[in-house]
Amino acid sequence: MSAEAVPTQTGPGQTGVIHDLGYQRYTGDRYGRAAIIRTLTGYSLRSAFGLGRGARAKIVPVGAFALLCLPAVINAFIVARGGTRAFPYDLYSYPVRAVAMTIFLAAQAPELVSRDLRHRVLPLYFARPLRPADYPLAKLAALIGACLIMLDVPLLLLYVGTIVGVHGPGAVWHQTTLLLSGLALGLLWSVVLATIALAIASFSGRRAFAAGGVAGLFFLTFVLSEVLSTIAPRAAGLVSPFALLDGVRMWLGSTNPGPLAAPGGSWGTGYAVLLLALVAAGLAALVARYRAVAS
Amino acid sequence: MTGPARAGQGDRVIETIALTKRYPGGVTALDSLTVEIPPGITGLIGANGAGKSTLIKILLGLVPPTKGLARVLGLDCASARTLIGYMPEHDCLPPDVSATEFVTHMARMSGLPAVAARERAAESLRHVGLHEERYRAIGTYSTGMKQRVKLAQALAGDPRVLLLDEPTNGLDPAGRTAMLELVARIGAEFGLSVVVASHLLGEIEQICDYLVAVESGRLLRAGPLTSLTQARQSLVIEVADRTADLAGELGRRGLEPRPSGRGLVVPITDESTCDVIRDAVADLGLALARMEQRRHRVEELFRPDRSDQPEVTHVG
Repeated sequence: MSAEAVPTQTGPGQTGVIHDLGYQRYTGDRYGRAAIIRTLTGYSLRSAFGLGRGARAKIVPVGAFALLCLPAVINAFIVARGGTRAFPYDLYSYPVRAVAMTIFLAAQAPELVSRDLRHRVLPLYFARPLRPADYPLAKLAALIGACLIMLDVPLLLLYVGTIVGVHGPGAVWHQTTLLLSGLALGLLWSVVLATIALAIASFSGRRAFAAGGVAGLFFLTFVLSEVLSTIAPRAAGLVSPFALLDGVRMWLGSTNPGPLAAPGGSWGTGYAVLLLALVAAGLAALVARYRAVAS
Repeated sequence: MTGPARAGQGDRVIETIALTKRYPGGVTALDSLTVEIPPGITGLIGANGAGKSTLIKILLGLVPPTKGLARVLGLDCASARTLIGYMPEHDCLPPDVSATEFVTHMARMSGLPAVAARERAAESLRHVGLHEERYRAIGTYSTGMKQRVKLAQALAGDPRVLLLDEPTNGLDPAGRTAMLELVARIGAEFGLSVVVASHLLGEIEQICDYLVAVESGRLLRAGPLTSLTQARQSLVIEVADRTADLAGELGRRGLEPRPSGRGLVVPITDESTCDVIRDAVADLGLALARMEQRRHRVEELFRPDRSDQPEVTHVG
């Protein structure tokens, strides 16, 4: 029995009275739920790029980012040699985006959610002030932020590479307005892609399954839509998130020709509604999923 | 059983009233459990499936009760979360980060600012006895080290109450002893109230002040460890031979020995019991091979009607 080794009474308020081994109460500030959600978002955003992990965790995000920057770099060369801007801000390079974002999301969406499911870390989160819906929403905000960096930073490079070759404030302003609409579309892409990818990844704790699910969905639907585009060009826009996003771009008034035919009014509305429905379904699936795993 | 048995404890750390949990499949995990847990180290004892983990999950606000009420430090469970440190029974550690990084992150998830979280993580890991190895990835740790990291993350948020679910799970005997000593130290020296769930009474009775026994989701007994066990303290004695002679001699000296295996079990009546036995053995010129305090068995606590009568205690 260890009864002799311990003080005869124990209870709050008797910290270190008999043995002072240096246990100290924490007396400083304690953040509330909202700040904890922000902290988790920041932490997850870092891990989306493999920061705080080993070198291996950085290969895919850095590689995909480099791939996405490639068109902007090419553009800078072209402009420097007297050419005009090679890629539109609102479309950028559709195939490069589709490929690089598929790879990025297939690798990093599972990194954000499957790890904690697999290693059963979630009870530790939910035993703390976070509520079940807070966790997936923080993860989603982080992944949207990560996608935004992936998609919009190359646009900024494209902009910088272009304005060095244009002359006069009017021309720069013109580039700037085009850039802003491109950045806004980048945000739309980020929200849609991150929500779908995270919802799929959250259903498997096995990283390989989660990655396969995300990659399979994005890649197969992308191929299907490419195939369909020759047979039924407008319906083709409905099958892939990438094609859908580009259809919405044209519906919003962009005249740059994309991989698919411009949808026109009624199809365009259909695209926009489907896009909203996809995001809503992804959000609902995420929240429902974490309500289930929390208990 | 509960209230009156505990003298002079005005404050209670945990309190449940008619707490009931039925899972959708029709399984009743807790059945009108009413119990009060005082400050100090409390053992929550019960067989696997008795409802220990469900009770802990309700106290953490992870699972809503079907009926009844549970309070921690006078607060409802969800709002008491910043005051509770939880160590789950199962593995809960990602293998690819270091213990320092993981515990720091968990401290921040308890609401600590970045710098304070880092300091407290280092301190918690030191308290559980992880030093240089805390910078290594958790995946390279032994089971004992992982258990310590689980305990450290529970401590890092500076809780007032620790809920430890089977903390010695998967450890070897030395690891179990070390973990129990650590828990005892945390309860005694850190001023934290600790609830240790276990299915091994012999293990946690070494460190507990108070004991709550549950079976099939119902309260079996609750009370200070001494009141539950003192009446049934007994010694196991083995002599090289002439066990029957010793039994007779002890009987003449006022003890009530009963045969048990190769030896005798003697209920401890007062402080002189050991001396009486020693003298009896010496006077008979016997070789005393073993004399030790007998471990209490779970079922003795679980069946108060039987265990109140030391004569019929089962031995095996």
